Amino acid sequence: MKVDLSFKGVTGRAIADRRLKTAIDRTTMTAETKRRLALMDYPQFEAARARGTAIKDHVVANLDHYLEEFERNAVASGAVVHWAATAEEACGIVVGLCRQAGARHVTRAKSMLGEEIGLPHALEAADIERVETDLAEHIIQLAKEAPSHIVWPALHKTREEVAELFRVAHGRPQDSEDVPAMVESARRQLRSLFLGADVGISGANFLLADTGGVCTVTNEGNAELTTTPPRMHIVTAGIEKLVPSLPHAYALLRLLVRSATGADITQYTTFHTGPKRAGDRDGPEEFHIVLVDNGRSRMLATGLRDMLRCIRCGACMNHCVVYRQIGGHAYGATYPGPMGAVLTPALEGVEKTRDLPHACTLNGRCQEVCPVGIPLPTLLRGWRDTSWKEGLVPGSVRAGLWAWRFVAERPRLYRLATAAAVRAMRLFGRRGWIAGMPGAGGWTDYRDLPAPAGRTFMEQLRDRKTGR
Amino acid sequence: MSARDTILGMLRAALGPHRPDRAAIAAEAAALLADPALIRPALAAEDPVEAFAARVVSPKVNATLDRIGALAGLPAAVGRYLAAQGLAPEITVQPDPVLRALDWTGFAVRETALPDEAVALGRARWGIAETGSLVFESGPETAVLNHFLPLHHLVAVAAGDILPYLEDHAAVMGAAPRNLNLITGASGTTDIEGSYVRGAHGPRFLHILLIGP
Amino acid sequence: MAGDPTASPRVALFVTCLADTIRPRLGFAALDLLEAAGCRVEVPEAQTCCGQPSFNSGDRAGAAALARRMIAAFEGYDYVVAPSGSCAAMVCAHYPEALEGDAEWAPRAAELAGRTHELLSFLADVRGWRPSGVALPATATYHDSCSGLRELGVQAQPRALLGAVEGLEMRPLAGNDVCCGFGGTFCVKYPSISNAIVGEKAAAIEATGAGLLLGGDLGCLMNMAGAMHRRGTTVRAFHAAEILAGMGDGPAIGEEDGA
Repeated sequence: MKVDLSFKGVTGRAIADRRLKTAIDRTTMTAETKRRLALMDYPQFEAARARGTAIKDHVVANLDHYLEEFERNAVASGAVVHWAATAEEACGIVVGLCRQAGARHVTRAKSMLGEEIGLPHALEAADIERVETDLAEHIIQLAKEAPSHIVWPALHKTREEVAELFRVAHGRPQDSEDVPAMVESARRQLRSLFLGADVGISGANFLLADTGGVCTVTNEGNAELTTTPPRMHIVTAGIEKLVPSLPHAYALLRLLVRSATGADITQYTTFHTGPKRAGDRDGPEEFHIVLVDNGRSRMLATGLRDMLRCIRCGACMNHCVVYRQIGGHAYGATYPGPMGAVLTPALEGVEKTRDLPHACTLNGRCQEVCPVGIPLPTLLRGWRDTSWKEGLVPGSVRAGLWAWRFVAERPRLYRLATAAAVRAMRLFGRRGWIAGMPGAGGWTDYRDLPAPAGRTFMEQLRDRKTGR
Repeated sequence: MSARDTILGMLRAALGPHRPDRAAIAAEAAALLADPALIRPALAAEDPVEAFAARVVSPKVNATLDRIGALAGLPAAVGRYLAAQGLAPEITVQPDPVLRALDWTGFAVRETALPDEAVALGRARWGIAETGSLVFESGPETAVLNHFLPLHHLVAVAAGDILPYLEDHAAVMGAAPRNLNLITGASGTTDIEGSYVRGAHGPRFLHILLIGP
Repeated sequence: MAGDPTASPRVALFVTCLADTIRPRLGFAALDLLEAAGCRVEVPEAQTCCGQPSFNSGDRAGAAALARRMIAAFEGYDYVVAPSGSCAAMVCAHYPEALEGDAEWAPRAAELAGRTHELLSFLADVRGWRPSGVALPATATYHDSCSGLRELGVQAQPRALLGAVEGLEMRPLAGNDVCCGFGGTFCVKYPSISNAIVGEKAAAIEATGAGLLLGGDLGCLMNMAGAMHRRGTTVRAFHAAEILAGMGDGPAIGEEDGA
């Protein structure tokens, strides 16, 4: 049987998968609750959000300046700075550096930018053994899957599935009822791999312009275990990750962590500045930073400037009614949820991803929870405008809206048409409800439609006035 | 054209010709740090040391705390912890002159953490009351891996080094170390069905020894 | 006159296409309530659709054309009031956006936006009105529709008004501020997703044990009521305005059997 890979097909299967729904609910509902509790302890959140928004806007408005300042200071600290305009260039640089280091195996700390540019695949294609060290990334690497959430990449996996993956990969029996024991198994499995890696690759949560420093945040401690032992540390970072200085990063960290997990700060927050120094007890001898554009400068020029504020907290997807029904994989891209529905068309072209900005109720909850006030519904509507202009909207929808507009622009015709329509609709009604009607399948396949009263308000009002 | 030129060129084209100068950008960046009190949470107690002490044992950080009057009492306090945990008196001690100068008689002391280290003791440069974070600066006296390899991470911090807020740390920090590590609690993960498990890759236990009155 | 509750403002009822066609009772409820609140109400004949389907589908030109029509239709009234948060928000929040850069129409859009209100918040905030002598012995729960809630700040007003209905016991709804999955054309473009969302909403409504579901937007109410009817739930749905107008003893959504 042929598998329907259209958005409708993929989402249909996702909705039918009750196990997936359980997994999504467990994590997103916990995240929602914990965020709400964290904000109760932080009444300064609104002020902090305004400040965070202003900081990111300031950086974006001066991004060329800050990139050059960052480069200057990073180089002064002993780092090597590389620039990549595209995903291919970025992967080429990383693979080249790994080869130059004679790397047989590399460790990688979770980085959504790495996923975005296809780095796992590029390393595989170059025959470089890659060890994902974030527990969730380890799970999905074993499952040969893609992340389904930007904060919890293995959110779609149940503990039973994880136990089976670990049993095979770790070569030890696993008890799915004992999650701490499974975590311990991964700890044992990965510890020697951390220490034996030739190159460690991480992303960046912030880049500090005034020091050339790179900030990573984790709760597991895998970033530091990834970046400290190997001879070489490579950072891949989107150019929008800049902040002017450490206190600016601290202001944004307060927003990021509360919005992501409901904690006040991550267990491990590390600022990496340059390679190992004279006398240092450990640390990489080479420190490379790859600054990746991959469409970001184009976003700045094409009305998506607000999106460059995004700090990748995942709150928008945790609070999205659509994400919570279909999960991350249905979006078919690195970034799911509302932020993904804005970013993916920018990264991959709206012609291939038209459904993403359309499959949204525009309820505005994502914007409400966004810690940097990104007007996600407005940006999603922007992609709908583009889809319309580029002729990507299905002909039936276009024709329907055109007909509606034609009638609605002519009030007298509108009165006649609506009066006729309600009479016609009543023919399909049974005891007040319409269970099915030609052309209304989108509604009645799933819900009953209240039958209209038979005469429009305007007609009844006219009767009332004339005393009928 | 290099990727660097391409990216900067695209950004400048998008940002337009009328741009603030260096001084104006710096002034704006500084203004974005004004009135930090507006964006800071309340401390758990008025006194930063008390706030830190309350914070680190709260469920938010979930560390254990031992308050000792003077630095000289540190080996005994470490001994108490090891005994309570049923651990042998074998530890890695950060090559920090302050810690090394103490009397470690009765302990087998290592300088570098083993790959599967059981216990490592470090000294934090600062503590932050707002978050309960311990701040380490890497260098000849501080190995980064000592914070991450052990199962039990023991950290001494002086009451006089407790700062109220994150911004206060930024203000007192000098030149950036290679690694600036803010450590807030033990390693943890919620990656399997969202259930919280300690000791994912790093330490499973964080024990803080707060020194001073 | 604007802002003075003792004066009798001239108010245009923006009936909305759903109330006009599917539930005329709601239009009459709005009319009665506005009159009870001391307004001189007119229903401009030239009004049709606010253009939301076009606007949210990317048809900017279509949305702008309909917006111009509506602006002209509602010219000269002290207030324009709609029994719908989403239609009012279309005018208040999105007309200025839809007509941005139009030298003639953008100022007129802004002017209309300034005097357009959602019905329940208009009654409570602008007119300071409270129902008196309205009784309905029933239990009810309230769903906050997203546009009214987030674009217009409608949240406390309907609760305050319904609190003055004698005998009406309000029960809290878990996830009262979570979208019901209607989303205008979304619900027919992506019906399986919409249905999954409204399924959860229906379960939450049923869990309150309330006999009535109330809300401020007919589209959302039709979605929830339609889903619950398909599931065989006995919860009955009304627009809150109908309850406030003393029409709570009449047919609920889906119970009308002829005009």
